[in-house]
Amino acid sequence: MPPPRHPRWPHRAVTGLRAILALAVALGQVEITAAREITDSAGRTVDVPAKVARVYAAGPPASMMVFAIAPDKLLGWTRAMTPAEAAFLPQRYADLPALGRLTGRGNTANVEVVLAAKPDLIVDAGSTGETFVSLADRVQQQTGIPYLLYDGTFAHTAASLRALGAAMGDGARGELLADYVERSVAGIRAKVATIPQQRRTRVYYARSPNGLQTALAGSINVEVLDLLGAINVAGSQSATSGLANVSMEQVLAWHPDVIVTTDPGFFARVWTDARWSGLAAVKNARVYLSPQLPFGWFDFPPGPNRVIGLFWLANILYPDVFDDDLRERVSEFYQLFYHQAPTSAQLDVLLDTPEPAPR
Amino acid sequence: MTTHTTHAFETLRLGTLGRYTLPLVGLAVLVVVAFAVGRFPVSLGDLFAATVGKLFGTSREVPATVETVIYQVRGPRVLAALIVGAALATAGAAYQGMFRNPLVSPDILGVSSGSALGAALAIFLSWDLIGIQFLAFAGGLAAVAMVYGIGASLRGRDPLLTLILAGVVIGTLLGSCVSLLKYLADPYNQLPAITFWLLGSLASASPADLKVVVPTVLVGLVPLVLLRWRMNLLTLPDDEARALGVNTTRLRLAVVCAATLITAASVAISGIIGWIGLLVPHAARMLVGPGFARMLPMTMIMGAGFMLGVDTLARTMATLEVPPGVLTAVLGTPLFLWLLAKSKRAW
Amino acid sequence: MELRAEALSYGYPGRTIGSEVEVALTAGEVVCVLGPNGGGKTTLFRTLLGLLPVQAGHIALGGRPLQDWSRRNVARVVGYVPQAHTAHFAFTVREIVLMGRTAHVTAFAAPSHRDRHAAEAALATLGIGHLADRVYTEASGGERQLTLIARALAQEAELLLLDEPTASLDFGNQLRVLDQLRALAEQGIGVLFSTHDPDHAFLCAERVLMLRDGRILGAGRPDDVVTRDNLRQLYGVEVDVVTATLPDGRTSRLCVPGLEGLRTVRRPRSVPTCH
Repeated sequence: MPPPRHPRWPHRAVTGLRAILALAVALGQVEITAAREITDSAGRTVDVPAKVARVYAAGPPASMMVFAIAPDKLLGWTRAMTPAEAAFLPQRYADLPALGRLTGRGNTANVEVVLAAKPDLIVDAGSTGETFVSLADRVQQQTGIPYLLYDGTFAHTAASLRALGAAMGDGARGELLADYVERSVAGIRAKVATIPQQRRTRVYYARSPNGLQTALAGSINVEVLDLLGAINVAGSQSATSGLANVSMEQVLAWHPDVIVTTDPGFFARVWTDARWSGLAAVKNARVYLSPQLPFGWFDFPPGPNRVIGLFWLANILYPDVFDDDLRERVSEFYQLFYHQAPTSAQLDVLLDTPEPAPR
Repeated sequence: MTTHTTHAFETLRLGTLGRYTLPLVGLAVLVVVAFAVGRFPVSLGDLFAATVGKLFGTSREVPATVETVIYQVRGPRVLAALIVGAALATAGAAYQGMFRNPLVSPDILGVSSGSALGAALAIFLSWDLIGIQFLAFAGGLAAVAMVYGIGASLRGRDPLLTLILAGVVIGTLLGSCVSLLKYLADPYNQLPAITFWLLGSLASASPADLKVVVPTVLVGLVPLVLLRWRMNLLTLPDDEARALGVNTTRLRLAVVCAATLITAASVAISGIIGWIGLLVPHAARMLVGPGFARMLPMTMIMGAGFMLGVDTLARTMATLEVPPGVLTAVLGTPLFLWLLAKSKRAW
Repeated sequence: MELRAEALSYGYPGRTIGSEVEVALTAGEVVCVLGPNGGGKTTLFRTLLGLLPVQAGHIALGGRPLQDWSRRNVARVVGYVPQAHTAHFAFTVREIVLMGRTAHVTAFAAPSHRDRHAAEAALATLGIGHLADRVYTEASGGERQLTLIARALAQEAELLLLDEPTASLDFGNQLRVLDQLRALAEQGIGVLFSTHDPDHAFLCAERVLMLRDGRILGAGRPDDVVTRDNLRQLYGVEVDVVTATLPDGRTSRLCVPGLEGLRTVRRPRSVPTCH
């Protein structure tokens, strides 16, 4: 199948060009780069050029995956890095331009901007449902650029890394990262299996500034919790998954052992708020603020960044079973995935949870 | 010629005392029920012991968590529901009289759009909870100030019509700004926060919030209650009201300021909850007639009761909180249609 | 209490509707403003009440300039009765009449017993006490007009300005309203009302102001002012003004149209002879 025709070229020019190429091939002077057929997580078969040098990532999880595997091929981030985030990445990568999100929950990228960046490949990671498949097809048709959609669920992290690596021509790197993920997950899973059911920790995930927004079991937000065998107190509510508001009473009725939050404001207030401070979790100081730099360790963005969160949470939930030196592990993970090991001071920022205000 | 019996309570031959004690008793019952039910199991015995203990300062054998639930969680929430319901209903009644249109809601001058924009902006800028509430409050006030300013500066036209048009225009503009913020917001974190705020909820009502909101609402509510007889005159054409001795511009300004204050304060802690301002005044009018002297207190009582009922349902129906705005619409629509069918005459 | 306007020009910004208008109203008399529709009667009334700013000339109420009076004080002295309209809300007649007490009720107060008595008295004066609990929007046109008059009475005003009180009323109600106006004047209230029917002037007014296109065509006693020539100037139709002798011997003046087409329809009947 011939490469997609550039829409602006007149018909005659293309025909002429093809004739010349055919002649050149016939004379053995030019090697046509053969396209490869790649199948992505959604089962779409896409022709990808053999040599991929420029990759546009359509969303934050995809950005992270491409950055981890082949940072030099990444054309840009979906939004500009804040200075705090940039400090954890090599300068040249932190300075990549912001190109916007293309599909998924809210897209801000202008298709023309994408085209102007001249990518060889567009990559997206996340849901592989019908909506996103059709979006992928549409963008591919519109731009003529091959579009690969990978499964972003935590369980498929390794497989997606492997497949993406192969698609970009960085099979070795993809294999390396996928292997790391698989070993880590297997190790943790094995240890978790040794924990008897009754000792499984009950966790409440507090999202919003008021702490009353949570994620239901089975939602993409709390996959790590499920993997760790922790009991998400928000349980599995009949039809819904995803996010929901709950009442303070409900939280009290659930009496979680541990509260994990991503909101610094909530974390600061929870110790002195009369409604929360009665909870066992708060009294025992088992409220934890998830580190967020450069990418969140828990929940969002839903990419391979959550792997390090796995170790962090495991230490929190079952300190007797998991006694890793987190600092070492974090350094290893950051070097591998973010291409820069954090300094000692940066490790302090990440790992030393702020002391709760004296009561 | 027989005189027509006009109002339901007159049919029931209730005197003035009966007219008010019945709804008040109903409200008291609702309050007790609201304290008694919830996702956290609290036995009636515990509830009784805790109440008695608090009132008489006797020793309580109630577990600490139960006390927290009753005083820190349900108590503020019940009070918030009462005050928000009363505020929204009263604002609705005031505006309906002022605009001489029974289909007017408190949002007509854009206070909800302004609050929504304030809250969305605060969430977008990652402000904390206090900041979000403050900006929501300020946004509501600013929006109405803008609308009123536009209305006042366009002289020579029907003042009410210009107010309504300005309100619609500004409301739409602010609504599009909210849409823009939703578009730019981080989809994993900020966007859900904005969405949930817009759906409305009394879940985060804390005692600290109420210490600020209750006085603010009272500052607006008390003048409206005192002015309630005069508000009847706003339903007359401007010329007539002025000829009767009313400074209509000043009275309108006072009503708008008071109604906006109570609405903005309510929306700041509850998010957008619709239908109360539109529906409850109608119900009150059906029961005691359109005269503001009687209708306004009745509206307050009924608004407080309706909001309390809806909020209690919202937090007990399921594990998840049902957005009260959804419930007020689902419950309010059939009620409203029934009222429409029943009333054979003008509002 | 006297309401006096001299050399009055009135209208809206950029548009003068009337000029060189003189009006005088004292307690105890009925003055009729007679003129065609669109002749500026309503605008004149609004100006006399202080609802519209004066463009030229001046208005004095009780000897003081009108602009020195506060709205509230004007309302205690001058009552305004507009044309009966539909209300947006279902107030009862009693509630409507009670609204007339506004000028006597302070801002943050509710009507007192005294106010309620005044409202009841106003209803009684007009003989509509039995309508007190009727919903205003369900009352007939005549009943509504009487309600509005009662409301003005409740103001305890000494002067009443009524804008076309008989418009859209049936024949019977028109007469009833005019009768009330006379009764009010006899009680010492000054009544200024506008109409387009010259017979009304004869029926109850002591003085008539003929107003056409914002200018006074004539002012004075009805007998002097409502003449054939003036009516021709006012309405552009031929009208005979005749004196009729009633069966009990009293006389009354009335207007008889003199248009060609109508003449042919008239049948001879045993009626007042024309002099």
